[in-house]
Amino acid sequence: MPLIDPSVVDLSRAQFALTALYHFLFVPLTLGMTFLIAAMETVYVITGKEIYKEMTHFWAKLFGINFAIGVATGLTMEFEFGTNWSMYSHFVGDVFGTPLAIEGLMAFFMESTFIGLMFFGWNRLSRPAHLAVTYLTALGSNLSALWILIANGFMQNPQGAAFDPVTMRMQFNSFLNLVFSPDAQAKFVHTSIAGFVAGALFVMGVSSFYILRGVHKEFAARSFRMAALFGIVSSMAVVTLGDALGRLDYLVQPTKIAAIEGLWQDSNANSSAAASPWLLFALPNDATQSNVAEIGIPYVLTPLITHSESRVIPGLLTLEQQAGPRIDSGITAINALQQFGETHDPAALATFQQHEQDMGYGFLAQEFAPNQDLTQITPANHDAIIAQTEKATIPNVFVTFWAFRIMMYLGFYFVVLFAFAAYYSLRNELEKHPLVLKAALFSIPLPILACEFGWITAEAGRQPWSVYGWLPTFQAASSHPVGYMAFSLVGFALLYSCFIAAELYLMFKFGRLGPQHHEDHEPAGHAAPMFATGAADKSWQ
Amino acid sequence: MGKFFKLAGLAVVIALAIALAVVAGDYGPWYFAWLVGTTMIVLIAAAGAVLFDTQEPNSNGKV
Amino acid sequence: MEMYVVLKVIWAVLLGVLLSGLGTMVGMDMGVGTLLRFVGKNDGERRVALNIIGPHWDGNQVWFILGGGAIFAAFPTLYATSFSVFYVVMILLLFSMIMRPVAFEYRSKAGSTWRATWDWAFLISGALPMIVYGAAFGNVLEGVGYHYSWTGQYFQDESFLGYLLNPFAVMCGVVSLSLSIAQGGTMLMLRGEEPIFGRARVAAIGAAVVAAVLFALGGVWVAHMNGFVFTAPVDPNMPATPLTGQTVGLAPGAWLNNFHAYPLLWALPAIGFVGMLGNAFFNAVRVPVVAWWCGALSWIGAIFTTGAAMFPFLMPSSTDPNVSLTVWNATGSQYNLGWMLFFALVFTPIILAYTSWCFYVMRGKVKVENVVNDSHSY
Repeated sequence: MPLIDPSVVDLSRAQFALTALYHFLFVPLTLGMTFLIAAMETVYVITGKEIYKEMTHFWAKLFGINFAIGVATGLTMEFEFGTNWSMYSHFVGDVFGTPLAIEGLMAFFMESTFIGLMFFGWNRLSRPAHLAVTYLTALGSNLSALWILIANGFMQNPQGAAFDPVTMRMQFNSFLNLVFSPDAQAKFVHTSIAGFVAGALFVMGVSSFYILRGVHKEFAARSFRMAALFGIVSSMAVVTLGDALGRLDYLVQPTKIAAIEGLWQDSNANSSAAASPWLLFALPNDATQSNVAEIGIPYVLTPLITHSESRVIPGLLTLEQQAGPRIDSGITAINALQQFGETHDPAALATFQQHEQDMGYGFLAQEFAPNQDLTQITPANHDAIIAQTEKATIPNVFVTFWAFRIMMYLGFYFVVLFAFAAYYSLRNELEKHPLVLKAALFSIPLPILACEFGWITAEAGRQPWSVYGWLPTFQAASSHPVGYMAFSLVGFALLYSCFIAAELYLMFKFGRLGPQHHEDHEPAGHAAPMFATGAADKSWQ
Repeated sequence: MGKFFKLAGLAVVIALAIALAVVAGDYGPWYFAWLVGTTMIVLIAAAGAVLFDTQEPNSNGKV
Repeated sequence: MEMYVVLKVIWAVLLGVLLSGLGTMVGMDMGVGTLLRFVGKNDGERRVALNIIGPHWDGNQVWFILGGGAIFAAFPTLYATSFSVFYVVMILLLFSMIMRPVAFEYRSKAGSTWRATWDWAFLISGALPMIVYGAAFGNVLEGVGYHYSWTGQYFQDESFLGYLLNPFAVMCGVVSLSLSIAQGGTMLMLRGEEPIFGRARVAAIGAAVVAAVLFALGGVWVAHMNGFVFTAPVDPNMPATPLTGQTVGLAPGAWLNNFHAYPLLWALPAIGFVGMLGNAFFNAVRVPVVAWWCGALSWIGAIFTTGAAMFPFLMPSSTDPNVSLTVWNATGSQYNLGWMLFFALVFTPIILAYTSWCFYVMRGKVKVENVVNDSHSY
């Protein structure tokens, strides 16, 4: 059997991470701005005031620039499972492909069809009909996220399928378990609402720019007000939901939560206080398996994660040791499975079924076995292989720890920012507080950054697994030559760089031009000089 | 008659919403939270805009 | 017949429907992209051409996404193997597919050099995917080089150059490109006025005739090609794994066996021909509405002809024929196929309803002055 080339696996991972993170630059704005725009249009339909129509138009235009790349780069994600993760697709396609197909049927068709009407249907639809179209677009894009995260929930906490030794894959057996998986539910709500925060801060930041410049006052103040209120509720919800998600991870993904908290030794609330501090800062070292320069708040960790006072959170070193027996059992399982596949020997099947729950750990050991062949494990090399595999059962702690910390700190920052913004907006005192306005303007990219780090926390923290506990990432990749990977990586890098340059160019162009650009009912003489005055703006002409 | 259809339509929507809420509340508490939360967030934002207009009834905005 | 077998066959037919829908709807948009530089001689005309499909291209593109998703879920092993085996080609396809949405949204938002650059992006992202789409069918008919390890991991036995530089595949690619140009030209005639109408008409008629000629040539070629056959009885109810249960051999002309066994199947290529020639005829007499439906028929005919010839094979392996992927061994589990069918039955009518409504709302001719004055148009 040809060997799996570790460098191809790494390149495949790099490519997936690059394309997923890039796709995820655009998704949060899509999820959040649709509902905010729908809220603006609702006010327009109810009050009939033209300025809300103007707001809907303008923000929808910026939304459209973002939406196009989001859709385009989403295509890559759907294809990459097949092009780069063929073993993964074969192994879980029966259960993982289903939510993706339903996403196409239920959500993607809806958002894509209605977004056409949302942009082109203004003069052809009645006001309530157009409002309904806008809401359907918003609902469609969030339903898309729902099915994608149901699929992702299966990777995090596989339920709703069982391994079948005859077809050598996980087979779908419970639709309800898949759809109502707690991991999928919590992930969806957390991600969708995080998108709301991104959308709100984007609208608020651009509005701040106008208020700071003293232009489009009526337009900007209303947009700011709506975005600030939209954002304050969303940002508080995201923090709460994030806490609940952490508790779920404690129950089903102990390695992830331990890595997030930089917890090498077991926490123990009953012993000295220093034993379970919640770390605000630390430099986890994966080589020495310990932390440097810890700063933490004592007593907080256990109640925070377990929502109890006494339960123990297992540390990474404990988790590694606990994996040892499972690796041994897994090796037995995989060897029996191979024998069953070749001979259909019922005795081998019986052996496999005894050890089935640990088969993922057997796959994991394959990476370290001589010639990646578990049958070549002898008493002489056994202990070394088990030790190596144990070390491989935990994620990279430094990356997981800091990705989580950055996301979390940003999350708290958003609550504070929106609180001030909403307060001053409600009192109509925004112009007296340029600091808040400037903070909002320069914070526009931060929620998107927080979403990116959220993705890293979730997916880097899942390692070494593709499907937690069942299929290691190392086994999941397609067996391509390195040259193919170089070709696609370079291609993606070039194409995606051009896209982001084009997107930023248009965003800045239309953002600076402001709403009067395509609205004809504002006095022309009043609108023209507003932006042409600044030297910087001339470069966009 | 038109009014009757409107009311009937509304009744169907409400019935569906209640059914959805019961199912979602039983099996997917998080999904239920999302439905309620998103509705609330949109309404709060809309209410903020309406409040804005009442705060400055004599503003020089185009109406 | 066993329930599982029924579901497998239903999903094979649905796969054909999806591929035909993809060809018709996405092919139409791609054809408009390919023709853009030829039917529009100035910026206003090009914007009209783009706005003719402007409200619909995004919805149409979902056929592509749905095709990918349905293959992933209903034929996981086929998805895993085919996408990886055709890696370089698939990546090229992907690059052009992701270029298109961006081109639509961004083209008309800045100056003339910017626009000219995106017009080239439309040409590439219109023509290349259609050639690749057709070439994939050609390669599948000829058999593809791959085998599996005991875990189900595929291994490739042939270089991507073999898939690209292969005369039969290139010919199939040209058929698919011609069909897309014919359909795109027809759509431009439907909602465009002179001079776009006249230029699109010439292109559409020419393309439909080329497609018909090459489709006939392809039939003769396939009749003399090596086809794949089962050399021992196969249980259609078998568990879905390519690793055991099939013995497969090659025989010249075997792809016509199904037609010999069920002469009624000849209706499928006939439908294809009627569609292609009808498309050309009705465009010539300036009735693009009928021509559009003929164009759809030609896709249905072409794809179901290929499917009928190969059934139950989906992607035969030329290096290890016994592991050839078929309708019997490459599907999902019965439970999965059942749920997917349920969702398809519930949502397809809904999708058809709102897609038709969308086309109804946006009906009528697109004029230059409307496009230029509407701030939301492409």
